[in-house]
Amino acid sequence: MSSVTRKAPSLAVRIWSERWAYVFLLPTLLLFGAYTVWPIISSLYYSMLDWKGLGAERPFVGLANYREAFGDPLFWKSLGVTLTIIAVTVPLRVGLSLLTALVLNNPRLPLARVFRTALFVPAVTTTAIIGVVMGFIFDPAGGPVNQLLLDLGIVDQPVDFLGDPGTSLWTVMGVHMWKWFGITLVYWLAALQTIPTTVYEAARTDGAGGWAALRHVTLPLLRPFLIIIVLLTAIETMQIFDLVLTMTNGGPFFSTLATEVYIYQQAFAGSTPRLGYGAALGVLFGLVTLVFAALQAVGIRYADRVRSRS
Amino acid sequence: MTTFGRRRFLGLSGGALAAALGAAGCARTSEQEAAPAAGGDALRWWDHFQPLRPLNERIFAEYGKANPGVRVEHEVYNPNEMGQALQLAFKSNQIADVHTIAGLGSSEASLVAGGWFAPLAGQEAIRAKLPADTLLEGLHVFDGKLHAFPLFTARQYATLSWFNRELVEKAGGDPDNGPATWDEFRSIAARITKDGGGHAYGWIQGLQFHERLQSHVIELAMSAGAPLAMTPGADEKGLVDPRTGDYAYASDPFVQTLEFLLSLVRDKVVFPASTSLDARTARARWATGVAGMFFDGSWNIGVVNGQFKQFLGKVGVGPVPSPGGKPVLYGAPAPGQLFVSSQSRHVEAASELLARFTGPQFHRALSTYMDQVPLDLEAVSTADVHPTYKRAVELFGQAVRLAPSPVVRNPAVAQVLTEMKEPRPTLGEITQGILSGELTDIRKALREHTGKLAAERERATRAIAEKGVKVSLDDWTFPNWRPGKDYTAEMYRTS
Repeated sequence: MSSVTRKAPSLAVRIWSERWAYVFLLPTLLLFGAYTVWPIISSLYYSMLDWKGLGAERPFVGLANYREAFGDPLFWKSLGVTLTIIAVTVPLRVGLSLLTALVLNNPRLPLARVFRTALFVPAVTTTAIIGVVMGFIFDPAGGPVNQLLLDLGIVDQPVDFLGDPGTSLWTVMGVHMWKWFGITLVYWLAALQTIPTTVYEAARTDGAGGWAALRHVTLPLLRPFLIIIVLLTAIETMQIFDLVLTMTNGGPFFSTLATEVYIYQQAFAGSTPRLGYGAALGVLFGLVTLVFAALQAVGIRYADRVRSRS
Repeated sequence: MTTFGRRRFLGLSGGALAAALGAAGCARTSEQEAAPAAGGDALRWWDHFQPLRPLNERIFAEYGKANPGVRVEHEVYNPNEMGQALQLAFKSNQIADVHTIAGLGSSEASLVAGGWFAPLAGQEAIRAKLPADTLLEGLHVFDGKLHAFPLFTARQYATLSWFNRELVEKAGGDPDNGPATWDEFRSIAARITKDGGGHAYGWIQGLQFHERLQSHVIELAMSAGAPLAMTPGADEKGLVDPRTGDYAYASDPFVQTLEFLLSLVRDKVVFPASTSLDARTARARWATGVAGMFFDGSWNIGVVNGQFKQFLGKVGVGPVPSPGGKPVLYGAPAPGQLFVSSQSRHVEAASELLARFTGPQFHRALSTYMDQVPLDLEAVSTADVHPTYKRAVELFGQAVRLAPSPVVRNPAVAQVLTEMKEPRPTLGEITQGILSGELTDIRKALREHTGKLAAERERATRAIAEKGVKVSLDDWTFPNWRPGKDYTAEMYRTS
C-alpha cells in the first residue's frame, strides 16, 4: 500500500477557507481594538508625557509620572478610600442580597416579582441623577432624612451627611449599596436557579426541613458562585466615579476622594490639568483592577472545579 | 395578519437604522454645503461670551449696515472647548479673523511670539478711545504695537457682601450698606440665625467648590491688609507680596481670614447645606430667604434679575467686609480679550470692527447686561441698570487698586506659571479642611502650603531658565510699589 503524504494547507488557505468566521469576527475585533486596546495603548503612551491635554508641547518624561504617583499622598489616600468602599460595601451587599434572594426565591412568597423589580429599579436609573437627588434627600436644611430624624427625636440638630467628613463616606457607601443592590440580587437569583429541584425533593424525602435544606443543600451549592459574585461586585464597586462626583465631588477635604475622581481631577479639572499624570494614575489604578480581575479568573476556575466535583 | 419573526424584525430594524444614518449623513452634508464659505466678505468671529451674544450681534449688525456687503459670522464657544478648537483651527489655517484665547493656557506674550496675532490696524484711533494707563507693554502692546485692549475692568472683586435687606434690618444692621466690619458681619449673622429659629441663617455660601472659596479667602485677606502682586488669569500660584516677591499665604491677614470664617462655623450661623452647594445653588437658596448674607461678584444682581425676579426688591449690596471697615483690594491688570489672527486676510476690517468695542456708548451698553464690569466704570453711572449694580461698581472704584504684575515685568514668568504644578491641598482645599474641622492648626497648614508653593516656583523657574529663557525670582519683586496706590505703567519702567 502506498502512503500518501499531505502537505498542511498554508495560513492564507486556512483563513480563506474560514473566511466567513473572520468576516463575522471583524466588527468585534474593530470595536474591541478601538474602544479597549487602543485606549490602553494610548494611556500607556500619555502616561509618559508631561502633557496638559492641550497644546503641542508634550515632552517625553519616561517614568517620572509614575515616580511622582508613588510619592503622591493624595493618590494613596484615594486608593485607601476606594479600598475602604470595597471592604465595607462588598461583604454587606453580597450578604444582604443573598438573604433577600433566598426570600424572593420562595415560590410561595406573594408579590415576589414586584419586590424583585422594586429592588432592581435603582440599578437601571442614571447614577448622576441619583447623585443629585440624594443631595436633596440628605440636605441638612429640610431634607426628608433629616426631617425624619428630627421628628423622631433621634437627633436634635440636622446632620450634614454629605458635608461632614465624618459622615460623607458612609453616606456615599450607603447610596452606592442601595443603587447597585439589585444587580447582586440578580446574580444570586440566577445562581439559585441552577440548583435542581430534585435535590430539594430528595432532601425533603430524607426528612430535611427548611433550615436543614438551606444549610445542607442551598448554601453548599451556592459556594462556587460566592467567589465570582464577590469579585464581580468588587470590580463594579471600583467604578464609583459618577456617584461620588455628583454627591460630593470627592470632598469634603478628600474624605470621599475615590481614585477615579482623583484621576479625573488631575487629568481634566483644576486650574492646571495634567493629562499625562492622570494617565499614569489611571494605569496604576488599572493594575489594581487587574489584580481583582485575575482573582476573578482564578475564582471562576475554582468554581468550575467545585461544580464538576459536586 | 402580518407577523414578524425575529430574523425579519432584525432585518427591518437594520434597514431602518441604515436609512436613518444615511439620512442623517445627507442632512449634515447639505448643512455644510449650505454654510457660506469661510473668507470672502465674511469676517469670522469666535468668542466665549454667551451672555453678551445679543450685544455683540447688535454691534455686528450695525457694522454690516455701515459696510454693505460685509457680514460677520459669529460663533460662541463653551470656554472648556474653545482652547482645543483654536489649536486645531490655527494649525489647519482655518482660525477666525477675530477670536478670544480662552482655554489656550498660554500667555499673550508667548502667543504673540508664536505668531498667532496681527497687530491692530488704526492703532492711534483705538488708543485714543481707551482710558489712560489701560495699556501695558507685555500684555496688550508688543514691540510698541497694539495687539489687544481690555473690554472689562481690573477694578472688581467677587466677595461683595450681598444681603437680604429685610433680614439684615430686622437683625439691627444697615439695610442700605450691610455689614462693614467682620465683627458686624458676625453679630448680624448671629442675630439673623437666632431670629430665624432654624428657618433662616446668617450666611450662605457654596463651600463645596474650593476654587470659588479660594477667591473669597484671597479677597477677604486683602481686605485685612494682605498686599498682592497678581498675574492676570493665574490662580494662587501667581499671587505674591510685591514687596518681597514671596508667597504671602502664611501671613497674618490670611490666618485672620480663616479664623474669621471658622468663627462663623463655630457660631453656627452658616446655612447648614452650604457644604454641599456651589455658587449657583447657594444663590438660588439665598433668593428664597433662607439666609441673610452671601458673597458674590457684581454679576449676582444680573442673575437675580433674570432668574429670581420676586427677590429683586429685597437685595442690598455692601463692600467686602473687612476688619476695620475700610477695605483696599488689588486687581490684576485687565488683559485684552479679543485678538486679530495673523492668518486673517481682513486685518483692517477686523480692527475697525474691534474699535467699536471701545468708548462710553459700548461700555454703557455692556453695563446693561449686569454681567462683566466694563472697562469704563463711569459709563455704569449713566446706564439703565439696577441700583445695586451701580452701587457695586461704585464700591469697586473706591476700593480696588491696580496691582503690579510679574508677567508684565517679564512675560517669561507666564512660562514659569505654566511649568508649575499645583501643590495640593490648594488654599481653597485647606480652607475646606479648616472649616470642616479636619485641619486644626491654621498657621501650620498655611505655612506648609506656602513652603510647597515656593519650592515648586523655584523648581519651575530653574527649569525654564535652563532652556535659555531669561527669568528669575527677582521678576516677582516690586520695590516701588506703595500700599493703597495704583501700580501704573510708568512704575514698571522705573522699577
